[in-house]
Amino acid sequence: MTQQKIIIEDIARALYDVRDESRPRYRSESGLTEDIVRDISRRKNDPAWMTEHRLASLAVYNETPPPAWGPAITSLDMDHIATYVQPDAVMAGRWEDVPEEIRSTFDRLGIPEAEKESLAGVGAQYDSEVVYHSIQTSLTKQGVVYTDMETALREHEDIVRAHFMKLVPPKDHKFAALHGAVWSGGSFVHVPPGVEVKIPLQSYFRLNAPGAGQFEHTLIIVEPGASLHFIEGCSAPKYNVTNLHAGCVELYVKEGARLRYSTIENWSKNMMNLNTKRALVEKGGLIEWVSGSFGSRVSMLYPASILAGEGARCEFTGVTFAGRGQHLDTGATVIHAAPRTSSVINTRSISKDGGVAVYRSGVRVSAGAKGAKCAVKCDSLMLDSESRADTIPVMDIREDDADIGHEAKIGRISDEAIFYLTSRGIREEEARAMIVRGFVEPVAKSLPLEYAVEMNNLINLELEGARQ
Amino acid sequence: MTAAAEKEVVFDRIPAPTWRWLGVNEVRVPESVLREAPALRLVTIPRGETRDMVVVCRTEAALELRAELGEGAEFRLTRVRLAPADVRCADAVKVTLAKDARLSYTAVELSGARAADLLDVNLAGDGSGADVAVFYFAGGQQRLDMNYEIHQRGRRTEAVLDVQGGLSGRAEKIFRGTLDFVRGAAGSVGREREAVTLLSPDVVNRSAPLMLSGEAEVDGRHAASVGRLDEEKLFYLTSRGLSPDDARRLVVLAAAAPVLDRIADEALVAEIRAAMEGRLSHG
Repeated sequence: MTQQKIIIEDIARALYDVRDESRPRYRSESGLTEDIVRDISRRKNDPAWMTEHRLASLAVYNETPPPAWGPAITSLDMDHIATYVQPDAVMAGRWEDVPEEIRSTFDRLGIPEAEKESLAGVGAQYDSEVVYHSIQTSLTKQGVVYTDMETALREHEDIVRAHFMKLVPPKDHKFAALHGAVWSGGSFVHVPPGVEVKIPLQSYFRLNAPGAGQFEHTLIIVEPGASLHFIEGCSAPKYNVTNLHAGCVELYVKEGARLRYSTIENWSKNMMNLNTKRALVEKGGLIEWVSGSFGSRVSMLYPASILAGEGARCEFTGVTFAGRGQHLDTGATVIHAAPRTSSVINTRSISKDGGVAVYRSGVRVSAGAKGAKCAVKCDSLMLDSESRADTIPVMDIREDDADIGHEAKIGRISDEAIFYLTSRGIREEEARAMIVRGFVEPVAKSLPLEYAVEMNNLINLELEGARQ
Repeated sequence: MTAAAEKEVVFDRIPAPTWRWLGVNEVRVPESVLREAPALRLVTIPRGETRDMVVVCRTEAALELRAELGEGAEFRLTRVRLAPADVRCADAVKVTLAKDARLSYTAVELSGARAADLLDVNLAGDGSGADVAVFYFAGGQQRLDMNYEIHQRGRRTEAVLDVQGGLSGRAEKIFRGTLDFVRGAAGSVGREREAVTLLSPDVVNRSAPLMLSGEAEVDGRHAASVGRLDEEKLFYLTSRGLSPDDARRLVVLAAAAPVLDRIADEALVAEIRAAMEGRLSHG
């Protein structure tokens, strides 16, 4: 008797799990107190308003309960998280000036190589600070600003102050408040009116220190008629203690502008990824989210799009792969707040080996958003019955002149599909692999080529025939 | 104290809560509706037997109906709410099915200033099934709050949850429909569909079609569509001499037809149609 089975491997993590010995220049005490927040603010030479913002956020954090829904996050003990870890490096504009140990980490991750081949600018954050930032001269000549948030706070303070945590206020939820109190690092992009940034910018976030948090802030403003593709990557080596990521992304897409925001999230499996992303899209603007969630022990990530101007659009494409020990709760929210706005949400999730994949969404069409259209499609593939796949979508429609559609599927690989393919001469294991690859293909084709290749590497299909 | 200001209590919760701002986690009803214990009906259907039951609510009331279906039993339950538009109601129906038992549940919801409906179906036995068809229409200031859950525990269970509805005036409605494939429910199939027609710019429609699965060997699908009346249908009907209002009325009545076809009592169907006509005429 011949028994064949397919093994769909966990994400290959060896590349990401290489850890450097943690030798920070400074590491805050674990825990979250006013003294620690003031200390971070002082070390970062914050202006007074930012110090006040941090302290106000801390107060909100202390009075806000954790979410009453979603994955259990009781194992997150802030008393054992260091919220600020300053690497032993100053920000450099040349890789040669980045300390060898840190540079070699980014070399392994392929960041400098990608910069040479396909990026117009790169930011690299190590623990709590950005250690490298660059941008092509041709873009700076057109007025494009791409820098770390601390530099932006010094050199473009008015713009930062007008936008910082205005889309994601600290009162939004407990971890937005935490972010407001201890944020550090991140990227700032400003694209002037009419400028098309044809080659992507990329920021990469690496958390090396055990028992630490990363709280980078990304603020992007794409002015009227301009366009940008921004790529965000993140990873960390695995430790036996909990790490925390509570970043915040605020995107302003002005009239007629376009922004594609691509993320491949591959945190280690000791990570709590409690990240918040939000975009405000004005008249005729377009936000495109491409989101791959592969890492973390727990993830709660739901990029939100507020379609505030007439004809504004949102396209969200996401793939989530939850393996052993992972509970990945991901999805999207869209607010249609103006006439003739449209959104498309298309997600795929895979769960295996006891992994839990949850698709969660909220779509609201506000009164007066006449002609709004929204199409949601979320499919889940379960590879075994140790795992879970849940879909929790909600539609809140307050305008009759709207066209809203939603469809979802949960299931396993269909026997009929296998039969069909094998009847055409394809071996069963190949047929199964084709189906799984086909399942994520709508997402893979939305990724930049190099990321599609990375995703294919991450979802490493291994066929194995076990003969008895 | 006005009815609008009356304290509310939680009548039920969805099995997997989500963001509070969406307002779907809890079914709430005015406290006075539950001041007295709901009228409780217990139904036991022995192995292999069939029961038909029609429950028509015409007054303010809270009802709880619990049914236990033995192996191969069949329960055809029709629940119609025709109470005047100013009353408040809260009903709960809980059904547990043994092996190969079948539930056919037909609900028509036309009334109540505030109405809450719960349906909790436990497909415990292998091969058991539930076929649920619902039509609702809410107008004026009505608030309709529904939570339907079908838990598929046995192997090879089948669930169909088909909901059609219309909203006019300033009506608010929440429909939560959950297909829950419990681990071990191998070979089970679940289908959920909701279609909502919006007839006024002032309505609020919330839909939460949840699908939960702890079992890989299942086939679950849900679909929802929310929007105005199909413009092409309206154009066709008006081009044949119907006024736009009559055309709208006809389209909504047509959406109810598959549900009304499941009700054998012709007098009751006529009463439902008359009530719908009244609601459609007065928004």
